[in-house]
Amino acid sequence: MNGVRVGKRIIGAQAPVIVGWDNIPKVEGGPAKQIFFTWFQPTMLFALIAFWFYAPNSIAKASTAIGIGIGFKLLLLGLEWLAPRHESWRLTWKELTTDLFYVGIGFTVVRMIDSYIGDGAMIEAIQHSFDWEKFAWFTGLPLLVQALMISLLFDFGQYWMHRGMHNWHPLWLAHAPHHYITQLNVNKGAVGNPVELFLIGLGIGGFFDFVPRAALLAGAFSLAVGTYQHINVRFNSPRWWRFLFNTTEHHSVHHSQDFEASRSNYSNTWVIIDRLFGTCVDGEAELLGMEGGRPMSVRETMTYTFTEGWKSARERFGRRSMGPMTSAPLVPAE
Amino acid sequence: MTGAASAADRDSAFDATSPRASLGYSVYRRFVDGIWHVEGSLALAPGDSANDAFERLDPLFQQTGTTHDRAGDTLTFRKQGQPAQDKMAVFDGGVLRIEPGAAGLVLRYRLASRALLFCFLAPLLFLAFAQATIVLGKFEQARTAAKGKKPEVKKPPVVLNPIDKALGAPEPDPPKKKKKADEDDKKPSPTPAYVFAGMFAALYAVGRVLEDRRIKVLFRRRLLGA
Repeated sequence: MNGVRVGKRIIGAQAPVIVGWDNIPKVEGGPAKQIFFTWFQPTMLFALIAFWFYAPNSIAKASTAIGIGIGFKLLLLGLEWLAPRHESWRLTWKELTTDLFYVGIGFTVVRMIDSYIGDGAMIEAIQHSFDWEKFAWFTGLPLLVQALMISLLFDFGQYWMHRGMHNWHPLWLAHAPHHYITQLNVNKGAVGNPVELFLIGLGIGGFFDFVPRAALLAGAFSLAVGTYQHINVRFNSPRWWRFLFNTTEHHSVHHSQDFEASRSNYSNTWVIIDRLFGTCVDGEAELLGMEGGRPMSVRETMTYTFTEGWKSARERFGRRSMGPMTSAPLVPAE
Repeated sequence: MTGAASAADRDSAFDATSPRASLGYSVYRRFVDGIWHVEGSLALAPGDSANDAFERLDPLFQQTGTTHDRAGDTLTFRKQGQPAQDKMAVFDGGVLRIEPGAAGLVLRYRLASRALLFCFLAPLLFLAFAQATIVLGKFEQARTAAKGKKPEVKKPPVVLNPIDKALGAPEPDPPKKKKKADEDDKKPSPTPAYVFAGMFAALYAVGRVLEDRRIKVLFRRRLLGA
């Protein structure tokens, strides 16, 4: 495998990756199918924005957002079943059950920890020691501008956290289990060690909850764009969409078995952040995972971060403390 | 014979001295073993021998992560790290045996699935999370009462931007004094844990029936081409 040069990197030298939008297959079928899979994504995004913009105050609240989120995911699961992108990513009962287990852990244990030491606690602390009058300029901005700022700021934080996970070993230990997934399905975003779910959830987006409608509008971007990162459906996403937003194609490259390809497309919603920082690779991959596609069991996913962390710590600090005893030549730290 | 396959054979064999036997094996098998084991039987096509049957089923056991062993009329298999798209991915091991039946040879199988067991136990785990949430909530309530109420965050009234007004967005509600109900809303709720407990109970019921039928259909297709 030769790979394709993208900037200074060679993508696809270790595992197959299609590079370039023009090389990616399109949705096949009649005109109705083509129209549906071309306009579904923008229609849903604009419909959600319109809903949150005009919904009466009695409806525009977090519980409605949760309900819409569940309904939207059920709709996408239906699309996965009817029109899978790859047969090799088809959702089985076992995969669905396993994915939902991690979703459940996220909604219960991780949320609980979050309220004590995560962004829940941070937001409360900040809100209690903040001079809100100084923030009046923000709340006076048009709602959509506020929503865009919240979404971009939150995604900017996630981009660097995610990039950090791929570049700093202790953070990688938390993120690695997520990269053992071998297929993309609607709930695969939740698959991973709880430590990672906690870390990736850290963000200051929720800090802006003093403008509920703007926060809900920002959530619409996350739901109607971010959800497509992990999904087994092919869309003919419009050119402007794939320029601005992260897509299944981008994220499949990120999950590819090719090491260089996996170090790209870090953002959650706005792939334009990757474009700005030179980490965007337009393309797609079908063969996903680590170690040649070895599946990771639930038990290993839950323990990997700690067991590997212990091994790494022992290797690093154990060797250092034994320094004078060993006969190996001392080398400077990297 | 591979080590893994022989271990599966031992696991599946019925030991009359085991605690299962004292329970009354049929009761055990129906109500406890049945939680994570799928078993069934299928008549072979007339004229087919055990060899023919196992040859037709052979591709199912040539998958990544699958080891198998055949001894006479019995095939034992074990799966470890099976890919998601393996048609038998839900099973981790089992025994297939060809036996004479009333109208010819019959395939009898007994397959074990840790995924089914995991799904069966998951509701208990989420119910435990719900109870832990309730206990933590009570602890938090006592702690807040001891510490006294936090001063309320004073937020300036939000004024709608003229552009939003022109577009017809509803005016935001004026800031109101926090009620007790609002405070209660911020407390950790056991509801998500209860919802997931229910969801896994439903998933188990579906999976137990679905995977039983799927494996039967798979074997039938392989053996009879139907």
